[in-house]
Amino acid sequence: MAQIFPPWWNKLPLVTAIAGALGPIVVIAGIWYYFSPWYTDVGYSPVQPVAYSHKLHVGELGLDCRYCHASVEISPVANVPPTKTCMNCHQTVKRDSERLAPIRASAESGRPMRWIRVHNLPDYAYFAHNVHVAAGIGCVTCHGRIDEMETVTQMTPLSMSWCLDCHRNPDPNRRPVSQVTNMRWTPPRNASTLAEELERERPVTPPTDCSGCHR
Amino acid sequence: MSRTYWRSLAQIEDRPEFRAALEREFSEGASELPEGVTRREMIMLLGASLSLAGLAGCRRPAEEIVPFVTAPEEMVPGIPRYYATTMPFRRSAYGLIVESHEGRPTKIEGNPSHPSTLGASNSRVQASVLGLYDPDRSQSVTLQGAGKSWADFVTAWGQLAEAHAADGGASLAVLSESFSSPTLARLVSELRARYPRLQWATYDAVSDESRLAGLRLATGRDLDLMLRLDRASVVLALDADPLLTDPEMIRHARGFADGRRAGASGGTMNRLYAVEGVYSLTGAMADHRLRLESRQIAPFLAALAARVAPSEAGAASLGPGGVPGVDPRWIDALAKDLLANRGTGLIVAGERQPAAVHAAVCALNTYLGNTGKTVSYYETKDAALPSVSSLAALVSAMQAGAIQTLVVLGGNPVFDAPADLDFVSAMAKVPHSIALGHAIDETSSKTEWHIPRAHYLESWGDARAVGGLLSVVQPLILPLFGGRSLVDVLGLMAGGQDRPGYDIVRETWKPVLGEAEFDSKWNRVLHEGLLAGSELPEVVPTLIAQPLAELARAIGGASVATGAGASTAESRSGLEVIFLPSPWLHDGRFANEGWLQELPDPITKLTWDNPALVSPTTAESLGLANQDWVRLDYGGRSLELPVWLLPGMTDGVVALTLGYGRSHAGRIGSGVGFDAFKVRSSTAPGFDSGVRLTKLARTYPLSATQNHGSMEGRPIVRESTLAELRSKAAVPAPVEGAHAGDVPGASKGTPSAFGVFPGDAKPFSLWKEHTYDQGHQWGMTIDLNACIGCNACMTACQSENNVPVVGKDQVARGREMHWVRVDRYFSGEPSGSPEIVFQPVPCMHCEDAPCEQVCPVAATVHDGEGLNVMVYNRCIGTRYCSNNCPYKVRRFNFFNFTKDTPDILKLAMNPDVTVRARGVMEKCTYCTQRINRAKIDAKLAGRQLRDGDVKTACQQACPASAIEFGDIRDPSSRVVKAKADPRNYALLAELNTKPRTTYLAKVRNPNPDLDPSTLQQAQPAEGRTDAGAWHAGKGGGVVS
Repeated sequence: MAQIFPPWWNKLPLVTAIAGALGPIVVIAGIWYYFSPWYTDVGYSPVQPVAYSHKLHVGELGLDCRYCHASVEISPVANVPPTKTCMNCHQTVKRDSERLAPIRASAESGRPMRWIRVHNLPDYAYFAHNVHVAAGIGCVTCHGRIDEMETVTQMTPLSMSWCLDCHRNPDPNRRPVSQVTNMRWTPPRNASTLAEELERERPVTPPTDCSGCHR
Repeated sequence: MSRTYWRSLAQIEDRPEFRAALEREFSEGASELPEGVTRREMIMLLGASLSLAGLAGCRRPAEEIVPFVTAPEEMVPGIPRYYATTMPFRRSAYGLIVESHEGRPTKIEGNPSHPSTLGASNSRVQASVLGLYDPDRSQSVTLQGAGKSWADFVTAWGQLAEAHAADGGASLAVLSESFSSPTLARLVSELRARYPRLQWATYDAVSDESRLAGLRLATGRDLDLMLRLDRASVVLALDADPLLTDPEMIRHARGFADGRRAGASGGTMNRLYAVEGVYSLTGAMADHRLRLESRQIAPFLAALAARVAPSEAGAASLGPGGVPGVDPRWIDALAKDLLANRGTGLIVAGERQPAAVHAAVCALNTYLGNTGKTVSYYETKDAALPSVSSLAALVSAMQAGAIQTLVVLGGNPVFDAPADLDFVSAMAKVPHSIALGHAIDETSSKTEWHIPRAHYLESWGDARAVGGLLSVVQPLILPLFGGRSLVDVLGLMAGGQDRPGYDIVRETWKPVLGEAEFDSKWNRVLHEGLLAGSELPEVVPTLIAQPLAELARAIGGASVATGAGASTAESRSGLEVIFLPSPWLHDGRFANEGWLQELPDPITKLTWDNPALVSPTTAESLGLANQDWVRLDYGGRSLELPVWLLPGMTDGVVALTLGYGRSHAGRIGSGVGFDAFKVRSSTAPGFDSGVRLTKLARTYPLSATQNHGSMEGRPIVRESTLAELRSKAAVPAPVEGAHAGDVPGASKGTPSAFGVFPGDAKPFSLWKEHTYDQGHQWGMTIDLNACIGCNACMTACQSENNVPVVGKDQVARGREMHWVRVDRYFSGEPSGSPEIVFQPVPCMHCEDAPCEQVCPVAATVHDGEGLNVMVYNRCIGTRYCSNNCPYKVRRFNFFNFTKDTPDILKLAMNPDVTVRARGVMEKCTYCTQRINRAKIDAKLAGRQLRDGDVKTACQQACPASAIEFGDIRDPSSRVVKAKADPRNYALLAELNTKPRTTYLAKVRNPNPDLDPSTLQQAQPAEGRTDAGAWHAGKGGGVVS
């Protein structure tokens, strides 16, 4: 008669003991990390319907951010451009490119492109691009070196604690408003003088209260 | 002043249910699930939500960004746009500015340059955005219920039109609602030219027909009138409700409130007398109110006329002038007041009063020199005037089989036509019927063709507003369901061609604006929403008849008793019935708008129902109690409905509210309430005698908000009289209130008069005091003297802040979600005419907020600008905060009330405000999204925030401008000036919560001649003493 319990069952107490010891640690560590602000979407880099390269358009061709994201200075929303904006150039440039086929299809059919959102804040957080641009916060500060990205990737945590770090001490991240879209801008040596100058020109009082961003 | 305030009869009698409501923050069972969910299902739900949460938590879903293909010019994502348009309502037109987010209209405000709204709005206007996104609107043209296209209808109409053209349209009939619009009027005249023998009827279930008739009687002309309450110092409202149910209530409220404000700040304060059968909002605002059956208004007016205008032609026939049960000294004092204020007095008669009363009122206003000053007249122009007789003529033609085709252009006659006309059976005899309607309503479900009607936010049109001002109806969105406007359909009928409404309207305006540079002028009109200077010339009417003699004749005859037709002496016995338009649903047209259904009636505080209203004394004599089920027999018809005891109603009167009891309104409005049209006849649309109430053996639960959140009899509302205010003797004491430290605008004083603290004892603070001396510090004042209690703030808040509708059952459990409520306090004898004070109560934004101290998760905290903010994501739903809130302004989301919101209704949501989930506390935020928007806009413009840049939704909507909001550190701001008023007081200041919202005490302006001490028998002065007729038959619960 075959044995009901095969020999490896002898290890069961040991396995149970190890699992019993490690399990709670894993669970606690998991919760500790995943429920914390350290767990973010940094590195999120979804595949877009058209492999639009910011590296090519911004880094090499030198397009200004605002050519496409035209409403960034006036609206809370930095718009993703309409198909027409792509076609402004691409009706003459790279007319037959295979990769641009969805854009041409969209322009012809009138059906909009469906891009995947990369930088996604929760619905209860009301971020406004316009006021950040007006305060002289560079695009790079939150979006990273877009001009070096083939595929747009989330570079910063976009978590509340990360927002608050800057709201509590905005000076290191401020720059002249004229340099907001400049990807390669570096702060001058006398950074503190610049900060003072900017503060004199346009004083900012970034809110640190809940009501600043949540409504 | 020692008044006792009470909120309900249950309170006065200290009934157990009131104690229960008082002592529990959340009424019993408030935490229970709605019926139908068992414990087992609950566990299943819990399991399901856990597993769903687990799955969803793995990776948040990818979100798409879908930009335009070709972006429309000037539309910037994230920036709302504002367009001027006009909401036609009967023969009125509300000039509006509508906010549109990415092409979807979300919020409606008044147009500041439009005389009908003056920048404010009311609940109906606010809620009309729900009408646009109503999921129950019809979605296609139908023929016998089967879906068809507009093109099919155009073809079908072509054949009908040809047939009717042969005989000049002798068998073609059109039934329309009243309107006032140049384009529609032009189309109608074209239609009449095409079909000279066309039968046209105009019917409004709630109409000003008798006023038009009265003015025709007095002057021989079709005149409209415009009240200027701002110029009036003495106003007499005779069974009238200019402050709520009147279509022009917004401008009336503003004018009235201006007069109150002026008085409180040293000028002349107006004095309002109300004589009425029901308890109207106008009555609630009155300095002197006299309860009188509607049928006694004519004799009352005659008695007044005999005193005011004894030398006027026809006055001799009025007789000595006495009204049974009314103290003659009351009329004497009123007459004296009116005579002393010639040119600044005003008499208004209600729409339900007969023509003779309106004619006499016109005569008296003219005699007193008020015409042209407080009331002005102008010719009706471009209007279809309501006429019940035209409907009666049409119905008899239909019964006779003379009508082949009936076109119902809007309106819902199957629901609201007078019961005696039997419109339904008449319509069955018409072979071809066509109805234009927003939904497959009672009428459209019985007609051959139905055409979905475009909402005013979807259509082109125009209107003449008050004073004849030309206003333009401009669409903000293409018709969502392919609807057609009245202009489209009339255009097809009149022109025989399917033409866009835009072209038709522009055609009308070409001669108005002139061909030269038409486009730029037209664009200007669209931008403004109106054509400045297009008001009609004022008419100074000459009296052709002897209206006072007419009045005397009418009283002598019987017609006064019924409002229009004849009445026998026999029917004068029994109770009097008064038909009221619903303040929210009007004649039922807004029944499917949830905000309006859940909005408490200003006086009864009832939601979702329209019981018969009777006075406590009447109820007692009939053996009735609240929520008793009764049968009402009147004119051979009967109606079963519950009763509600309303203190201050005239004894012997039963009031029925129209507009409820719709069967085909949609998922919100169908089956809500009771259809009073079933007993309303064409001969007595306003009021009538001879009603019997029989108590039946059952009760019916009604959901009133009146006991929720009571304040235990502390000095919550404060009021004074003008004389007291002037003498400074008993000014409502300035209370150490809202502000600590050096914040300007704080009224310093000693809290003695209402004294919890004797002498100059300062409240002791348990907490470390905040200074709040940096940046903006927001504060609000609510002027109880201006507030008319119309609830516009509630609906505006609901629209701005995505506040859900919870339903009748949930309201009964105290779960209504309104962020601002309007409390209604009675004071005085419940069997007499108790006075009413209204008090809107939003979150007070206490500087030392009791809610914050008890929240275990810091979900409610203070921000640096003095706002008590609610962090929804932190809230775990302990509800401690609500328990600890002395003002009871916090609302708990017991269920996911927004979960089942149909997708289309989500379009009406404000994208700048979080839609809250279940299990979360919420409350007034001082419209923090508006504060932020204004701050960002100012920052972008590189300037400082100015006073008035931030307007809260309630403040903007308030027709009476009772709310001020602003920065209390800015000494020049309006809110600081308001807080410096000696009437300023903080609610429950003795708790030392330092509320940022403070109140300005109410001031009444009683006539010294009517002081109870001089009028020794004040009580017998009002209320009938000859009411034996309806007392006599008492027995067995039946009274006749």
